[in-house]
Amino acid sequence: MGPPTWLYYLFGGLMLAVAAYCLVLLVLSVAARRPAGRDVDISHTLMGTAMAGMFVPAWAFGPPGLWELAFGVLLVWFVVRSIQSVQRFGLHVPHASVHAVMSFAMILMYWFPMGLTSGSGSMSMSGAPGGVHLDSGLGLLLALVFLGSAIFTLASPNKGASHHGTHLPAYAMSGAPGSGPSSGPHGGPDGSAGEIGEIEAHVAIPWLEDLSHVVMCIGMAFMLILMI
Amino acid sequence: MAIADVEVEREARAYPLRPSPRSTGQPRDLQRTFQLLLATVWLLDAVLQLQPFMFTRGSSGFSGMLHGLATGNPGWVARTIDWNGSIVAHQPVLTNTAFASIQFLIAFGIVWKRSTRYALGLSVVWALGVWWFGEAAGQVFQGGATPFGGGPGGVLFYAVLAVLLWPGGRSDEPFVAARTVGVRAAQVIWVVVWGLLAVLALVGSGRSPQALHDLVANLDNGQPGWLAHIDRISASTFLHHGTTMAILLAVVCVVVAVGVFLPPAVTQVTLVVAMVVFAAIWVAVQNFGGILAGGATDPNSGLPVLLFTLVYWPLAGRHGSSTAEAAVATGAVGD
Repeated sequence: MGPPTWLYYLFGGLMLAVAAYCLVLLVLSVAARRPAGRDVDISHTLMGTAMAGMFVPAWAFGPPGLWELAFGVLLVWFVVRSIQSVQRFGLHVPHASVHAVMSFAMILMYWFPMGLTSGSGSMSMSGAPGGVHLDSGLGLLLALVFLGSAIFTLASPNKGASHHGTHLPAYAMSGAPGSGPSSGPHGGPDGSAGEIGEIEAHVAIPWLEDLSHVVMCIGMAFMLILMI
Repeated sequence: MAIADVEVEREARAYPLRPSPRSTGQPRDLQRTFQLLLATVWLLDAVLQLQPFMFTRGSSGFSGMLHGLATGNPGWVARTIDWNGSIVAHQPVLTNTAFASIQFLIAFGIVWKRSTRYALGLSVVWALGVWWFGEAAGQVFQGGATPFGGGPGGVLFYAVLAVLLWPGGRSDEPFVAARTVGVRAAQVIWVVVWGLLAVLALVGSGRSPQALHDLVANLDNGQPGWLAHIDRISASTFLHHGTTMAILLAVVCVVVAVGVFLPPAVTQVTLVVAMVVFAAIWVAVQNFGGILAGGATDPNSGLPVLLFTLVYWPLAGRHGSSTAEAAVATGAVGD
């Protein structure tokens, strides 16, 4: 008896849920013409979709080279944002750096793929073609970083900040959604701005944003452990 | 609020690991930080529990691993381990899913402040259960519980940490471990733990000349190249020197045990020695608990020992100049 198929479908489903949630946030921020937080939304949407395809091979699509390119661009973007943050605020660990590490891990997962094949209610794993595989020390280190990020994100008093605390300006300024000087309609070009803001207030819930980051971190850590 | 202030506030929320301008000057709650580190270790254990082989029957599966632990133990101990192994063998998916769920529950329970106490309480109970059924009581009854190999059981440190990091207590104690149980009790726990490690280094099969070599020689299977290389160096270094190394480790443990009664500067030196020695053991002898070879359920004792040592790190400006003085001061106020 091998490991249960449902476990991989569960993780694959969770990854898709994170991707779908972040896609909704992305659409809302585009509709409201507010760029803040879009990079994380794009990153989590792509990561969730890619990870789902790793857990459930039948859900994978697109050439790996294209995914590697996308995560390469995200890696550069988040590294630059991290450097800018350090230049502006002095020595600290910028939150963008976690996303940079996640993008780096995604690239590694495409470089050293694990074959998941299903059959008779279970799945089995095989090594990467050619026998090359991810250095397990690096895999464990990355997994620990993601698990630590998950725990400390959940414990953070700044709910939502781990994902994109600036997504909702009212929240960013006052610490609570829907309050503060900018709690009314914001940014929209027409009368729909108020509706968008209202929808956003119901979707961009800080703890839900944190949860999506936590789920993504645990999913990636699990995949890295599987690759060891 | 000025535009510049808004920008700073927004950036501070976007980058939570940077000290917020609003919170500057407020000391970090170290007890909470260590609780979260413990939760991270539990989360790692939970994810390791989801590895494919844990759901499988047979000698290469989790139940086979549990049955294998019974060998060499006294009959009554072996029977309890076999009993647990049989349950896991009959329902590997159900039991392993339950085991993983409990560890996820502990990790997330520690994070949520309202459930931290319950989660830490559960972690003590679970750790003791894992120690007995999943680590064969740390091989203590077999006479092979050398600290080099992880004796008396890495998961026991989880339980000790849960007690020491129990929420509450005074925030002005000289080290984090003393916050809830008090300085004297924390020092007693420290001495007992390091005294036990010293004794276990010297008794049983761990002190034989070949013991350390044999321990390391069998490890390099499946390890990454760099770790296998370290293993080969360790094995050749330790060849025939097991007894000497055991005595040296016992001496270090005794020195570390008395270290908490010395002035903070000396205490810090002994703690650094303890961390360096156990970090080296964790890497070169325990091989990170075998995680990198893909067949481990936890990181062994190296990581929790490091965490255990850190909670005794003397904090500047707390309760006088030494932990001993702090004990007196705490006693004077009836703690």
